[in-house]
Parts: sequence; structure tokens; C-alpha cells
Amino acid sequence: MKRLLMFAIVPLFMFAACAKAPTEQVTAAEKAVIDARTAGAPKYAPEEFAKLESALTNAKNEVAEQDVKFGFLRDYEKAEQVLTTTQADATRVSEETAKRKEHAKAAAMQAQQAAQAAVTTAQDLVAKAPVGKDRAALEAIKADVDGLATSLPDIQKTLDTEDYQAAQVKAKAVQDKSQAASAELERALAKVHKAKPIKKT
Amino acid sequence: MILLALPGCIQKVPSDVVEAIESLDHQLIESQGAEYAPDAYGRFAKHWVALRRQLQAEEDEIVWPWETNPLLASLETVRAEGEEAVAQSLMRRDARRLETEARLAFLEGRMRTFNSRVDDMGGRVVLGGRPVETALLLHQARSFFDQGLYDRSIQVARQAAGMMEVQTAVLTTTLGHYADERRVHMWRRIAQQTIEWSRLHHTAAIVISKADRRLTVYRNGRQVLSYPVRLGYNGILEKRYQGDGATPEGQYHIIRKRDRGHTQFYRALVLNYPNSEDRRRFQQARHAGHIPADSFIGGQIEIHGGDDILMSQTLGCVMLENRHMDAIFREVESGTPVTIVGALRLTNSIALALAGLDQTEEG
Repeated sequence: MKRLLMFAIVPLFMFAACAKAPTEQVTAAEKAVIDARTAGAPKYAPEEFAKLESALTNAKNEVAEQDVKFGFLRDYEKAEQVLTTTQADATRVSEETAKRKEHAKAAAMQAQQAAQAAVTTAQDLVAKAPVGKDRAALEAIKADVDGLATSLPDIQKTLDTEDYQAAQVKAKAVQDKSQAASAELERALAKVHKAKPIKKT
Repeated sequence: MILLALPGCIQKVPSDVVEAIESLDHQLIESQGAEYAPDAYGRFAKHWVALRRQLQAEEDEIVWPWETNPLLASLETVRAEGEEAVAQSLMRRDARRLETEARLAFLEGRMRTFNSRVDDMGGRVVLGGRPVETALLLHQARSFFDQGLYDRSIQVARQAAGMMEVQTAVLTTTLGHYADERRVHMWRRIAQQTIEWSRLHHTAAIVISKADRRLTVYRNGRQVLSYPVRLGYNGILEKRYQGDGATPEGQYHIIRKRDRGHTQFYRALVLNYPNSEDRRRFQQARHAGHIPADSFIGGQIEIHGGDDILMSQTLGCVMLENRHMDAIFREVESGTPVTIVGALRLTNSIALALAGLDQTEEG
């Protein structure tokens, strides 16, 4: 009887030892997804990142389901396939995120330069603005242009935090307002030139 | 033959149902389902992930045409859950969009009204760079809204609202005395004293109200002339030092009349600014650090003419049209009292503009 039991139990232990949970693969896939998150994937590649998270959850659930099965019935093959694919996809998403982030950074820096140029133009016009005419309006525009110049460092601070979207939005606002101030100053200058008496020869 | 016929008889999971569910998954990501319908999205995602695993696991299984495919019912359930999640997500996102748009429109309207009131009272210069900071914030809020980033839009809009509160506080602190009953009463009293003086001495006296931007000449205690005036570019403020653009308040008199050819401003009446009270206030303010240590008290405050159409304000003087200046020049002489006050009524334009700062546009 004992011999019979031995013949039954030993193979069972052998089968149980065959199906090993893909713990290392799970860890590697998790790390790859975390890396993608750290790289900014939720912001710059939201759809792809959502799919990554879904696939990782799927794989981990599959592993958990297999874990509760009796040893020789466990089959981690499908889970391993998903984990391998997820890890590869996460790396790809990280790379894509980096590209999109660089693109967003370039766009934000371009917007920053445009804002800077617009503020400089407005400051130059303020320097030429006629003094002693509508002084209150001139003082108001000067205050506006000073305020716009003061806001330029804030764009750089936002760039430094890598929030390129916000930096671009801020820069565009400064550019638009500076251009509006310049337009107002140009109108005032045109009025002055019109009012100047024409020299008779 | 039988083997070749088999594929046609094997029932597979209908691909259009699977595609429809995958499309719903896609729509949920696009509509930010995790944010706007977290519970419904979570239910759908959990069931779809499990069902997809099951589909993959049973891919190789054969279901004969006469057998019921157990996965069909599950697919339809998941599809229904996905449709519900999408509908909920879109509805809530739309509601958020409308809420954000309403808030932005309200603040933009409020800013327009606010700026208009500030212009009415001539208080723009008081605010320095603050109006443009508010305008920048609202511009950013609008940009975020246009990009569908409603939470960010609301966050920045709140900052803009905060800036407007700061501006209101600055204006109230700097110009609140125009709405102060005791102050207005004091102004009215000294104006009345001046008018009474003209009655007692059977001569002329001038009263200028800065809020009304009005100069009135009295003779024998009765009004004889009244004209609109232009003040300093910071005219409604109390004069503190040379170059601040404010028009002084106080009791003065004419010390010199400058006729045509003797002034660049057509005709001018020079006042005795600064008087002793002005000097005392100046010293006090400089000592307290309220004005720059290297500032001067200034002088040369006049009532003068000038038909330069481009000159909307002065550097602190009181300016009239030349024809009005002619009429006043004839009525007054050296020694004529000139009293300049902030306002003569509690319901003056600046007090009313201050009270209206919290209003928004109608409609």
C-alpha cells in the first residue's frame, strides 16, 4: 500500500515543481510600467499608458488565478506572454513619451522666445511713447508692459518643472498681451505724428 | 470533406461584438472615463479584462452550432456596461465643460466691468501691474479650457478671481476715503467755509471737486461759473510728492496770475502749493517711509488752460479749456481762495465706482 502511495505522490510533487510563477517577469514588467509613468506617459501618451496598465493588471490577475490551482494544473504561459509583451510595450511607450516630451519642450521654448520678443517690442515702443499727452493711459500701458516683463521668469520656472503645456500656455498669454499693448502704443504714436504740424517750405 | 466543412460549422465569438467593445474601451480613454465615470469605468474595465482573458483562453475551443456560446451573454453584458460608462463619462465631461465655461465667462465679464469701473474713477495707475496679471491668468484659463483641460482651467481661474480681490482691496485702501462719510463731511465743510468767505467779503472764491472733476467760481456766496476740468494723471490720489501725478487737496489761494505770453498753458493761476499743512504731511510721510527718502515736495501747481487735444491729464495741475480759462481769469485775482476737495457728496463717482467693483455684466 505504502509503495502504491509513493508511486502516486512522487509524480505529483514532480509536476508541482514544474509550474513556477513568473515572479521576476512580473517585477520586470511592473518596473517598466513605472518607468513609463515616471517618464510622463500618463500625460504625453495617455491612451498607450492606459493600455499598458490594463495589460499588466490582466497578466497579474492571470498569474494570481494560476497560483491558486493545484501544482501540475498551473499554466503560466499566457501570463508570461502578456508580461513579455507588456515590458516591451512599456519600453516603447517610454521612448515615445520622451519624444513627445521633447517636442512639447521645443514648442514651449519657442513660445517663450516669442513672448520675450513681444515684450521687448512693447518695451521699445514704451520708450518712444509721447510723454505729457494721455499720461494716465501711458502710465497704465507702462505698468502693463512692466507686468508682462515681470511674468517672463515665471515661464522659465514652469519650464524648469517640465510642465511644458502650462509653460506654453503662459508664454502665449504674455505674447498676446504684449502684442495688444504694442498695438495700442503704435496707435498712440500714429496719433502724435498726425497731430504734428507740417513744415511749410 | 467533413474536415473542410468543419470551420464553417464552428461557432466563433462574433468579431463585431468584440470590436464594438474595444471601440467603447477606446472611447472611454478618449473621454477620460477614469476621471469622469470612475466606478462605471472600473466595472467595465475589470469585466472586460477578465472576459478578454477568457476569450483568449477559449480561442481554440470548439463550440458547435447547436450549442449556446456561454461567452455571448457575457459579451453583451460587458458591452452594455461599456455603453453606460461612455454615456456617463460624456455626460459628466459635458457638465464639467459647461460649468467651466460658465465660470470663465462670469470672471471675464467681471474683469471687463471691473476695468471699466477702474477707468471711470481714474484708478488704473493705482493698480500698477496687477490688472495685466489678472488678464494673463484669465487668458491661460481660457487656453486650458479650449484644450479640454477643465480642472486646470478652473484652478487658474480661481487664481484670477483671487487677483481681482487683491485689486479691489488696493483700490478700497487707497480710495476708500471717497466713500467715508466723515471725510466727505469734512470736505463739504471746508468747501462751505470757502463759499461763506466769498459771501462775507463780497468777492470771488473757487471750489474744485476732484471726484466730479469740476471747478466752480462763487461770488458773494453764489455760484457764477462752473466748468469741467482735467486733473493729474493720478489726480484722484492725495498728493504726496513731486512727480506722483496727483492733484493736491487743501485750502490755497492764488499767488500770481500769468496772462498770455507768460505761460506755456495759455493763461495760468499759480497757487501757494505747498502750504504749511502740505509740508507737515510730506515730512511725516517721508519720516514714516511712506514715500521715497529722496523725494521732493514739488510745487508749481496751477489752474491753467491748454487746448492740446492729446493732453488728457496734467502732471498734477488743474486744467480747463481756454475759453473757460478766459472767463475765470476775469473773475479772480491774487489772493482769491482756492479750495480743492476730494468730493462734495457721498454718492460721488469714485464712491459709486468702488461700490460697483463686485458687479458683473448683465446678460
